[in-house]
Amino acid sequence: MGQIEWAMWANEQALAAGLIMLTGGIVAVAGQFKGWYFAAYAIAAGVFVCLLEYPRSKRKKGSTMERCGQKYMTAVVKVFGPLTRNYYIRAILHAALAVPAGFLLSTILGTVCLGIASGIYLLAAVRGEEWRPIEQKPRERPHVGDTIKQPPTNPPPRPPADARKKPPAEAGGQVNPIAVEAE
Amino acid sequence: MYVHVCLGCGPYVMWTMCAACIEVHVCTIARGQCRHLCNTGTRHTPYVCVCLLFVSSSLPKSGGERDKSSWGSYSPCLFLCLFVARFCSESLNATCNQRFRGMFCMQKALSAPSSLHHKVFLALPQCMALLENLPALLSWAAVLLFASDVRGLCISRASASVLNLNCCLVLLPMCRVLLAFLRGSQKVASRKTRRLLDKSKTFHVTCGVTICIFSVVHVAAHLVNALNFSENYSEDFLALNVANYRGEDPRKLLFATVPGLTGVIMVLVLFLMCTASTYAIRVSNYDIFWYTHNLFFVFYVLLLMHVSGGVLKYQSNLEEHPPGCFNPNKTLRENTTVPKAFEELFPDYTTEPFPEDLSVPEPFVQNNFVRICSKEPKFQSHFPETWFWISGPLCLYCVERLYRYIRSNKPVTITSVISHPSNVLEVRMMKVNFKARPGQYVILHCPRVSALESHPFTLTMCPTDTKATFGVHLKVVGDWTERFRDLLLLHSSQDKEILPIFQQRHYPKLYVDGPFGSPFEESLNYEVSLCVAGGIGVTPFASILNTLLDGWKCYKLRRLYFIWVCRDIESFRWFADLLCMLHNKLWQENRPDYINIQLYLSQTDGIQKIIGEKYQALNSRLLIGRPRWKLLFDEIAKCNRRKTIGVFCCGPNKISKILHKLSNVSNSYGTRFEYNKESFS
Repeated sequence: MGQIEWAMWANEQALAAGLIMLTGGIVAVAGQFKGWYFAAYAIAAGVFVCLLEYPRSKRKKGSTMERCGQKYMTAVVKVFGPLTRNYYIRAILHAALAVPAGFLLSTILGTVCLGIASGIYLLAAVRGEEWRPIEQKPRERPHVGDTIKQPPTNPPPRPPADARKKPPAEAGGQVNPIAVEAE
Repeated sequence: MYVHVCLGCGPYVMWTMCAACIEVHVCTIARGQCRHLCNTGTRHTPYVCVCLLFVSSSLPKSGGERDKSSWGSYSPCLFLCLFVARFCSESLNATCNQRFRGMFCMQKALSAPSSLHHKVFLALPQCMALLENLPALLSWAAVLLFASDVRGLCISRASASVLNLNCCLVLLPMCRVLLAFLRGSQKVASRKTRRLLDKSKTFHVTCGVTICIFSVVHVAAHLVNALNFSENYSEDFLALNVANYRGEDPRKLLFATVPGLTGVIMVLVLFLMCTASTYAIRVSNYDIFWYTHNLFFVFYVLLLMHVSGGVLKYQSNLEEHPPGCFNPNKTLRENTTVPKAFEELFPDYTTEPFPEDLSVPEPFVQNNFVRICSKEPKFQSHFPETWFWISGPLCLYCVERLYRYIRSNKPVTITSVISHPSNVLEVRMMKVNFKARPGQYVILHCPRVSALESHPFTLTMCPTDTKATFGVHLKVVGDWTERFRDLLLLHSSQDKEILPIFQQRHYPKLYVDGPFGSPFEESLNYEVSLCVAGGIGVTPFASILNTLLDGWKCYKLRRLYFIWVCRDIESFRWFADLLCMLHNKLWQENRPDYINIQLYLSQTDGIQKIIGEKYQALNSRLLIGRPRWKLLFDEIAKCNRRKTIGVFCCGPNKISKILHKLSNVSNSYGTRFEYNKESFS
């Protein structure tokens, strides 16, 4: 079986369940069904679940595909620390959010889906998984010319590098090979 | 006097043919006879759509335009057309058709106050009169607007017919043995059809997504239907009711009946399968995808049970109890509210076939003819047509799985295990009656490594007439390959060792399922082929090269451009011997230009710049840096004017995209590049 990361699947399920609850809630509120207060609650719960589940957690091994635009929500979710990091809390939270929407026919599917997601989160928590934010790697500046330590001090023509090890103070003046007479 | 659109006929009979319906509110025989055409029309819509799908996919593409031969672009439009067509035809049927009337229209007619009844049934033909001049399509809209009660049923029936088609089609791309057979039989399928087979996974995904979308529509429509069934309970036609009493809780209808419960469980199964099939999950945790996807069998069993509920019924004794007939035994209360127009609206249905000429209406159309019922109506459930749709592909798939199981049940004998640089392992084995074409892949299953997992690997060496050994090269990347390598190398102490069979060590049991087809088989069927490999993606081309080593004259291929891009120079040693041998052989046979080898080392900061002392032919063809694809394509096009070149790529997605784009660009030399794409995972 290998190392299956259940949390990733639970994350996808919870996101889908949030969308389903949102849709069911909108339909019920728009159609003004009997008991549409539950639908209004379902809309709020759906939005909250979608926002919470949008940032994907970092995998233990290998690179993770980020959802587009996830870094803003990552910053928000990271703030809550252990509340969002621990999957036990998430499982209980999702189970609690799911229950009130079960009283209306149009949102009952959202309830069941969120319930399943909560169960899978429980499984992930039991196996010791955690939510880890995907950090943005700082952009490394390209190393241009590591071999160039400092620019040369003499004008050309220059002797090769070994001969250049003479201290530069000596090569300050121009040494003429033939004496120059100023007339 | 004016001609109007015959409601019962819809699009299948032109309105001019219904000239018999002269008086708008009296459309009797003509309407009834038109209905037969309607029935045949609705039944044929799925077939028409499937034919259109195939026809449009195999249309020839002119050279130079972007190739759009993808199932992805055609099939969703066709499924949507099917939905719309079926929905409209069902709604038309609903307004003047027996079966739905029994549930909704009759109910309204008999118990509703006469004013409402008048409104519903008299407004309808009057509006039809208004719309007489508009084309038939627009008149459907009016029908839909007024037939509000039946809309839920129409939508659910229409989405059900799309679901029927898709549940049938989604299984077909997964019949790998069948597809491999179609690919191999060159007489059966032309190259265009074989290229369509490359897209089978995309088609499967499209059908799957369509199933999800239309299931949502179907469920929503049935929720509305559940409400309607409980509200519009008909006391007169008890057999027609789905609910047990008026005002029954719709939730009971949903969860306590067989169709309802199976439907709910199917939705949950679909939810599990759908969330586990996203790209991110497939890339990171393939196991979750694989195990949940096997729930499809549960889905199909539930689907077969779902349609056996027999919810929709039709009347089986039309002659004894024509609809709208006058029952003298009924109470006076109902009789007094029956207006005169009532009888005229309900036509007399006959079971005679549609006559060829329909010019003069029968004289009794003018009379207000009232019929007397002799018996109570009897209703019978429709035969579930889903069983017809699904049974074929399901049986085919089951037969294929059984065949694959039987064929792969005999373990292979591993002859040698060779360890190559850069974490690659070569396994050579033998199996009785194993035949494979170059480019095909097999699925390996080793119970000692993992009881449930099995992984696909491309064959790098195919069995020939003289040599029955075949081999795979596998790169050790995940946990399965790691454990497999540890198990195999444990049994062979040295790195490179080839033992005769009778001295074979006790390797773990290995089962091979396959071989299955892939697009790379096509490279031998082009006159000129360009094969681009990235890293371990060279494996399909290795089998092609091995085949050419045995004999190159019998294939259509006349020139092969082989480009291999690697990050690490040691990787080239996997097939350096093979390349050199082939190169030498072709030189000996005076065809040095048959294969054009270019090796690229994409990481430029390595120290070693040659592959090995003895691989001089490859050292001189090794280039440092990434290939420049545009220049390459230009050069190939220039050297092979007006030819069709097959482009094959097995490597990272980036390279694949660039090659696909370049293949679709037209060039001034008249050369055509056909890109053959493989879809993984």
